[in-house]
Amino acid sequence: MALEIGHSAYDFSLPGVDGKTYSLKDFADKPVLVLFFWCNHCPYVKAYEDRVIALAKEFGDRVAFVAINSNDPTQYPEDSFEKMKERAQEKGYPFPYLFDETQSVAHAYQATRTPEFFVFDEERELKYHGRFDDNWEHPDQVKQEFVRDAIIALLNNEVPHYSQTPPIGCTIKWKQ
Amino acid sequence: MRIELLYYPECPSHERALELLQEALRMEGIDAPVEIIRIDTQAQAEAHRFIGSPTIRIEGIEVDPHPELPYRLTCRTFIHEDGRLSPLPSLTMIRQAIRQAKEVSNDGT
Repeated sequence: MALEIGHSAYDFSLPGVDGKTYSLKDFADKPVLVLFFWCNHCPYVKAYEDRVIALAKEFGDRVAFVAINSNDPTQYPEDSFEKMKERAQEKGYPFPYLFDETQSVAHAYQATRTPEFFVFDEERELKYHGRFDDNWEHPDQVKQEFVRDAIIALLNNEVPHYSQTPPIGCTIKWKQ
Repeated sequence: MRIELLYYPECPSHERALELLQEALRMEGIDAPVEIIRIDTQAQAEAHRFIGSPTIRIEGIEVDPHPELPYRLTCRTFIHEDGRLSPLPSLTMIRQAIRQAKEVSNDGT
């Protein structure tokens, strides 16, 4: 079970690939926060990467996007902090990419997958949790853009039509 | 013809992989059962030379082989013909492996 809808966002203090340390207050000027569990190695993340980047660019002035990698890099070396820096630079991530080395943030949010999205309103209450859209396989056949729809609803002070969908992706790689 | 689908249950792609494999077999006119092998442990991954889920082998010929990769419990990434990254091989990739297996099979008989 992930965080319940309506639950407040948990604060964190995590290093980003840009050398800064981030916490919730760094995104306080944005009325919507999209926090998502992410990594380098998972093919589902790769399948969604360009879509998430595009959405972040589209709404970046009003919505804070924050990617968090909680995977254990001793099992998956491509998810190390150094590799995160390389990936963010290579793809030009328009959002902070944070490393949750202790996995405490993933545990707090009860996240299980990469990618897995949590969308919070201005009060930082959870309004949507789940997958990005309804078709990881064929971007041109997407019918429901869950995260995008939740963002638009929240920017219009409305309740998102979908509050929960099952996340789809690789499991978070917990430390042994 | 021996057809194997090996999967790691924590990757959600294996059911769709089986559908794609069956579709590719139909298109290539192959009527043979698919042996489905679940991989749960690192030891099983090593024993089955499993580099990630899903792994498809036709007569031992792997779809998108990567002998340089280690055996481990992970989800695979495939690069499709159009450059797109996907957790699944494309139909074309599977059909190519089937055709290659047919050729090898014909050469050997």
